[in-house]
Amino acid sequence: MAHQAHAYHMVDPSPWPLTGAIAALLMTSGLAVWFHFHSTTLMILGTILLLLTMFQWWRDVVREGTFQGHHTPPVQKGLRYGMILFITSEVFFFLGFFWAFYHSSLAPTPELGGCWPPTGITTLDPFEVPLLNTAVLLASGVTVTWAHHSIMEGERKQAIQSLALTIALGFYFTFLQAMEYYEAPFTIADGVYGSTFFVATGFHGLHVIIGSMFLAVCLLRQIHFHFTSEHHFGFEAAAWYWHFVDVVWLFLYISIYWWGS
Amino acid sequence: MCLCGTKAKKLPVLASRAFSSSARQLKNKVPEAQKLFQEDNGLPVHIKGGTGDMMLYRATMTLTIAGTCYSLYWLLMASMPQKKA
Repeated sequence: MAHQAHAYHMVDPSPWPLTGAIAALLMTSGLAVWFHFHSTTLMILGTILLLLTMFQWWRDVVREGTFQGHHTPPVQKGLRYGMILFITSEVFFFLGFFWAFYHSSLAPTPELGGCWPPTGITTLDPFEVPLLNTAVLLASGVTVTWAHHSIMEGERKQAIQSLALTIALGFYFTFLQAMEYYEAPFTIADGVYGSTFFVATGFHGLHVIIGSMFLAVCLLRQIHFHFTSEHHFGFEAAAWYWHFVDVVWLFLYISIYWWGS
Repeated sequence: MCLCGTKAKKLPVLASRAFSSSARQLKNKVPEAQKLFQEDNGLPVHIKGGTGDMMLYRATMTLTIAGTCYSLYWLLMASMPQKKA
């Protein structure tokens, strides 16, 4: 059996980059087919392929790290850089939507009544459900930190409990936000107010769901003894992502819900 | 728990229950997984787990190829002019 004389990870050949790329092709062309030919089959096929790719690719990363020992310190450092760069790209993604919001709200046009919120828009009271949502996410930031310390201290049961609580808080946020969306007195079609509100908060909500899924996978892995007190980068990556989602909410709350009301 | 071969000595029921009553205890199966995935059989990681891996890979690749053909079909449809009635 050949052994490597370095600490880096030369990955096995994998089909998942190809299947992922094809999934992207099918989802995008499927979107066009839906618009022009009223058939959703191609788009749904693409989505299924995307889910299969994500499951198998990340399953393989767990196998490579936890079961094959390929995640040496230099490799882990690379993974850390990767996660930080990814989160940074997401920061820029949200920056765009904040730019759109401030562009329209700092200099409201005559069509809006020359004011912000625009004439005719009944905004949501920032001190009702949005404030509760803020408390929920801040609390989840505390519980995820509790989970991290529990893992580092080898406290298995506490780690499971605090991680489960974090996920529950995430689901509670999503539930409350869904209720708000349903009850809101304005829609996405209500001018630039509606567009900026629902696109910014909508993408944020999607990221809360993604973050909750990531944490849920970490919970399953913690239950199955994958994490050690010294090595649990998957969890750290999920926690970083979760803190990022929390910070985006704080900016949304201050800018759109509070200042913008 | 296999007690075959041992003299039938009646154990009190409680003595066989070795785990806490709060939650079902899972056994740490990581060492077994490590043995499976470190076996020197030349298999790439995406199919090293067994038959289930191969089936899922085949299903995924089938969808990939079928989906590609289907998207090319729609491309052909979209590039053909609409017949005016």
